[in-house]
Amino acid sequence: MDTQTLVETLQLERLEVNLFRGVTPDEESRERIYGGQVIAQSLLAAYETVEARVCHSLHCYFIRPGDPNIPIVFDVDRSRDGGSFTTRRVVAIQHGQQIFNLAASFQVAEDGFDHQSEMPETPSWEGLEDDMVRRKRVMAKAPLEMRAWLERPQPIEMRTVGGHTEASRPAAREPIQQMWFRAKDAIGADPHMHQVIMAYASDMSLLGTSLRPHALDFNRGGLQTASLDHAMWFHRPTDFNQWHLYHQESPSASGGRGFNLGYIYRASDGVLVASCAQEGLMRMRKPKS
Amino acid sequence: MESEKPLIENLAETLQLERIEVNLFRGVTSDNSPGRIFGGQVIGQSLLAAYETVEDRICHSLHCYFIRPGDPTVPIVFEVDRSRDGGSFTTRRVIAIQHGQQIFNLAASFMAPQEGFDHQAEMPASTPWNELPDEAEMQAAALAQMKDMPEEAKRWMSRPRPIEMRSADARSYFQGGGPKEPESQSWMRCRDPLGTDQHMHQVILAYASDMNLLSTAMRPHGVHWQTPGFQSASLDHAMWFHKPVNFNDWHLYAQDSPSASGGRGFIRGSIYAEDGTLVASVAQEGLIRRRPAKG
Repeated sequence: MDTQTLVETLQLERLEVNLFRGVTPDEESRERIYGGQVIAQSLLAAYETVEARVCHSLHCYFIRPGDPNIPIVFDVDRSRDGGSFTTRRVVAIQHGQQIFNLAASFQVAEDGFDHQSEMPETPSWEGLEDDMVRRKRVMAKAPLEMRAWLERPQPIEMRTVGGHTEASRPAAREPIQQMWFRAKDAIGADPHMHQVIMAYASDMSLLGTSLRPHALDFNRGGLQTASLDHAMWFHRPTDFNQWHLYHQESPSASGGRGFNLGYIYRASDGVLVASCAQEGLMRMRKPKS
Repeated sequence: MESEKPLIENLAETLQLERIEVNLFRGVTSDNSPGRIFGGQVIGQSLLAAYETVEDRICHSLHCYFIRPGDPTVPIVFEVDRSRDGGSFTTRRVIAIQHGQQIFNLAASFMAPQEGFDHQAEMPASTPWNELPDEAEMQAAALAQMKDMPEEAKRWMSRPRPIEMRSADARSYFQGGGPKEPESQSWMRCRDPLGTDQHMHQVILAYASDMNLLSTAMRPHGVHWQTPGFQSASLDHAMWFHKPVNFNDWHLYAQDSPSASGGRGFIRGSIYAEDGTLVASVAQEGLIRRRPAKG
């Protein structure tokens, strides 16, 4: 799926004033829906009920696996339309059950006190290999069907700093990872859509950070991973057609869960545009008895 | 400081809820709240309301929004949505209501304790709690520094606190001194014995986690909550409970503010037991702005 298809896919059908319906594109219809898609669609559903204000934060829970073969209904609660802030809650529903919820807050743009943490020193995106190029090289001998899936067009361009390991079993590494990313094709002029696509992209790699100290990656057999929650704060306006550094670290793992923080900096001037926090399930499946 | 106020409010008792219906609860605000309800109280009560509908599982995360100022003079109704009772996880959503309007919402997830992969960030270097000024010394210093403060604010500042808090730079806090780094550390614990129930330790820790958090985002800008014309309020609050907590013991609350912009400050916090175990993480965004000049 390219960026344009993603932008089109995320568009929702309005069923009623506060009720929306969205779908999963056929080419992405595997076992379960990618979490970032539901975050993005829910944020868009909330935006459909908000006038002239910009999202500055969102908090989500993944409640049940999403079914890619049927539409998702988004039910928006207009919690408050206040003087400075608008608050919304969205519940995503499939098969009569809640699969996801999002709460978000929107604000009239204003000026104010300003500080930010500095962008970490890291090799520029310019000298790094594209993750897809590396993937094609590594997957050259894989079965055709698997290659077709893994090498399908992506809406987000990513360049991982330090590269992905090409060993089948990675060594234990620091709970820190960095990548450069941006939307691959033009998103357009709508500033909301830049936030929406960035929210979509922010769920792709974050959980992988907490796997690193345990010599794990997403490919390990028997490892069960899933995003449990996702929070995001949009500090400053975003142009996601520009390159951004996604600096990710994991302060904790315990009890079958990994906790991760992410900071998104604009490459050109080091401006911190967003922060993320996510807890994910990370555990070895119990052997079948 | 003349009066020996008899007893510190028993926080665990204050937060207790009355069950109105299976998924409906009612709580009250203690008498010593000024103007609006302290955010930590509503977080604590909402978590308790969710716990009333959960069996044998422990909260590992919660996410909240403060939607409207809470009115301390009327009860709060808590409505719980049983979003899911799954094989491993239980999910709940709570809406706090006053005057027919939502004042707050919380979503939380619960899980049976299990073993698993383990790592954690190291506890930062810090001054031990027993080398820091205690509450009485801090309050006296604060009142001496801020003689012009309204009487009501003085009474509020010198009230007895259920949470014992020792700030690492307490002695400099009220001396002005201009902009500081957007970082701070304090030690805290609950005075009243909380018993063996893990729920109440989490509830009181959540209550305490909303105290002083926003001020970390104000430090680089040389303002604090008593600066004339300055407006501050918690907007959201998220918390992750990584490990079991005994909040009758001292904990280090290390905070830093990665960003402020657009009238909002963003703060993250890490809560460590005295042996260095990371027991919880916190994230909050708050309103920090000068009130618009009246035109």
